[in-house]
Amino acid sequence: MTTLDKKPASSEGRKDPWSQMLQKVGKNQDREAYHALFEHFGPQIKYYAMANGLASHAEELVQEVFVSIWRRSCLYDWRKAAASTWIFTIARNQRIDMLRKMQRTSAEMPVETEDLWQIPGENENEPVTSLHRLMSERRIRESLSHLPEEQITVIAKVYMENKSHQMVADELDIPLGTVKSRVRLALNKLKVILQDQNV
Amino acid sequence: MTRHHPDSLSLMEYSAGNLSEPHALCIKLHLDKCSHCRSRVDTLDSLGAVMMEQQPKVSVSESMFDSILSKIDSEPSGEPAVPAIPRVSALQKLLGEDLNSLPWKRQLGDVSVLDITDRFPGQKEQVVLQKLAAGGKAPAHTHRGEETTIVLQGAFADQKGVFNQWDFVVLTDEDEHKPVAVGCEDCITLSVLSAPVKLTGTFTRMLNPFIR
Repeated sequence: MTTLDKKPASSEGRKDPWSQMLQKVGKNQDREAYHALFEHFGPQIKYYAMANGLASHAEELVQEVFVSIWRRSCLYDWRKAAASTWIFTIARNQRIDMLRKMQRTSAEMPVETEDLWQIPGENENEPVTSLHRLMSERRIRESLSHLPEEQITVIAKVYMENKSHQMVADELDIPLGTVKSRVRLALNKLKVILQDQNV
Repeated sequence: MTRHHPDSLSLMEYSAGNLSEPHALCIKLHLDKCSHCRSRVDTLDSLGAVMMEQQPKVSVSESMFDSILSKIDSEPSGEPAVPAIPRVSALQKLLGEDLNSLPWKRQLGDVSVLDITDRFPGQKEQVVLQKLAAGGKAPAHTHRGEETTIVLQGAFADQKGVFNQWDFVVLTDEDEHKPVAVGCEDCITLSVLSAPVKLTGTFTRMLNPFIR
């Protein structure tokens, strides 16, 4: 099966196509939309699992993520998160959960993965905001193309390979301070570092 | 040193899912009460989504989709199920309803401690609750390694400022301070201590932000 190359044409509109499809799954249990999400995000999640050292469990992770997407889709609110952001956090949580279960000894974990890592837009009673949230993916995508390779490499290792800043420093054989300053520079460019003045 | 809010680098490691469970707990407890940092994490989660989108793809088979469908069809209702709400917070799961009635161990003067490392099986860090009695003072001290602390109840002050409930503090060996519990409540904090590598498994004394 070939991977779909089409990307959300534009996030200029109120909803990108993936968010619309996810909403259809949540509202109407629309299996056609669900299948389109699988074709688009399945290959990304499979690579994510493999990059994270879960190569022999990659398909299992994709399945877990999609079952979870189905179950939670009724909680999805496009005003609070783009579909791709929401799905990324589910993939992340399922990956953490899978690793925790593998490492689990006889001792039970008193706290569940979902108690520690939030899915955006769930369990929040705050007013719906944020054009900012909808805009951010498009903005990030655009600014990312202007970042130097060395900054992207560091961020990719943190997000895709489950590596701490220290582990990235060890692997690239550069000081931890250099890794941190590359991340800070990148986050500044991406305007991810929000100012503290409003606090 | 980080004070009041986690820095962007820690939030990024949280968003990427790379933090240890005790560190993730500190961040999550703060996020639950801080919409500013929650919004920062939302943006970082979007960065994660874009990173995932820009990586190579690995094809998935149609038969995998079929087995996903048969999984969801085997669920009781066959329809999306809303996870049970309301949920008990992580803190309540770990420590119950009343922080004040935990089996505190009086340490020195106004300071009591409770080691809860065993609630995080398989983790490398030491996790400690501290209680500074209302109006109480802790002796001046510095810190070894790096300590991440979140205020669970009450407030404390040192020469750098006042730390209220759900404030987040990271202290290192360069930070010497002399905290005082302010307000009319005992100040209770949760601290995660990154274990110095050389000392793994050989801790013999309590390490905490109030007393060292």
